[in-house]
Amino acid sequence: MFGYIKVDKANLLGKEFEAYKGIYCSLCKQLGKDYSILARFILSYDCTFYAMLALDLAPDPPCYRQGRCRFDPLKKCNYAQSETEALPLAAALSVVSAYYKLMDNLHDSPWYKRIAYRLVQPFFARWRKKAAKKYAEIDASVKKMTENQWRAEDAPDCVLDRAAEPTAVMLSEMCALLTEYIPLRNGLEKDRTKRILSATGYFIGRWIYLVDAADDYEKDQKHHNFNPFLLPSSQTDDLPAYIEASLNHALSEALLSYSLSEAGRYDSIIQNVLRISCVNIQNNIISQFHPNTEDSER
Amino acid sequence: MKNPYEVLGVTENATDEEIKTAYRNMAKKYHPDNYTDSPLADVAEEKMKEINEAYDAICDMRRNGSKSSSYNGSYGSGSSYRQTSYPDVRQYIMNGRLDDAMELLNGVPEGNRNAEWYFLMGMVFSRKGWSDQAYSYFQRAYQMEPSNPEFQAAFNNMNARRTYNNPGYNTSNDMGCSMCDICTGLMCADCLCNCCGRGC
Repeated sequence: MFGYIKVDKANLLGKEFEAYKGIYCSLCKQLGKDYSILARFILSYDCTFYAMLALDLAPDPPCYRQGRCRFDPLKKCNYAQSETEALPLAAALSVVSAYYKLMDNLHDSPWYKRIAYRLVQPFFARWRKKAAKKYAEIDASVKKMTENQWRAEDAPDCVLDRAAEPTAVMLSEMCALLTEYIPLRNGLEKDRTKRILSATGYFIGRWIYLVDAADDYEKDQKHHNFNPFLLPSSQTDDLPAYIEASLNHALSEALLSYSLSEAGRYDSIIQNVLRISCVNIQNNIISQFHPNTEDSER
Repeated sequence: MKNPYEVLGVTENATDEEIKTAYRNMAKKYHPDNYTDSPLADVAEEKMKEINEAYDAICDMRRNGSKSSSYNGSYGSGSSYRQTSYPDVRQYIMNGRLDDAMELLNGVPEGNRNAEWYFLMGMVFSRKGWSDQAYSYFQRAYQMEPSNPEFQAAFNNMNARRTYNNPGYNTSNDMGCSMCDICTGLMCADCLCNCCGRGC
């Protein structure tokens, strides 16, 4: 996970931001409780969004309780407490993705960086093993994503869609999995919700992969690393326009898919993420391709 | 059946005008036109039917059994059957059997690939989520037969999503719905039905 799926604070109401922050802090606490205090460092916005999607499906809203931050005892936090498995699922996804990201880094990085990765690997491996014991589907899905990603990148006929597919499929499976573990609130039919979440997850996953690729474009070009926008099939006269169109399409599909679900308690925050924050993030990244012009407001 | 008022998101005390506005907003937001090439095309179609049924049910209740709204029966009906060279492929796409559809399409010799072939390849890729490939096939179909409304709609729809000018970004702000919108919607429903390969 890359941390691109976050809220745009300026466009959230105070109570919405408090609710979001409560989920963020609770996921941090859950990582500490289920894995280790060190696991709290892998807390990500993407997994917070995943926890929020899960809590949005549940029949009862989480109960918010005040507490102290472990890392800053002077700071008060509102922790979201839920009877459902929303937070343990998000915590498991955090540690499993962190482990496989580490494996991916070990696969791609130069030798001096691999030494550092090898040092932390036993911790990540232990957390992953624990998460896999409880949620085997998460481990299987993220593992499959990593392997398919390597396979796609090595394929001589790889195209952008194929390169983006492993991340998209993984997030699609993770979102669909929520309907298996979270009891659904009134008005949500399991099969329909599963399909909607699966499609929404697919396009969010595709957007995450593509926006990360756009962000890393220059670096990958310089170091001759794989990047879907460097593939022969992606060559075009206007690369920024091509990247923008690809990102717009993925985001638009995610939003259209999500719109088919019945709005829940966190609908306004989810809309904020998809309609405002993601658009701002992609605009910022695309503006790097035009260093001499000011980022134009849409 | 769900409470029709709940489906439209209004209370039982809502005025006729409020119900009509709620219906129009929802019909615009969930119209299958927005989802023709989406993996959730069938879910959107179902949702639209639910909305139409709810609106008709409310109209019937309020008119004491008289004929319901002017929209009644419009969605998914009245279109003529369009000739297709690939009825089986369209059937597979409609049933979500994308690999089977792809296999049939790949079996067509290169010399026999017409605009519809490119359109259907685009549809298969689009429903798989492979939008980049889908775009190039839709573009080719449109270039080969620009006057075909089905290919034109698919290409325009894809182009709209690749820019910010798409329904996903403005559904909550644009609450109006003109007769023109409804006509466009009906035309697109027609396209959807034809894409699915059945005369409805």
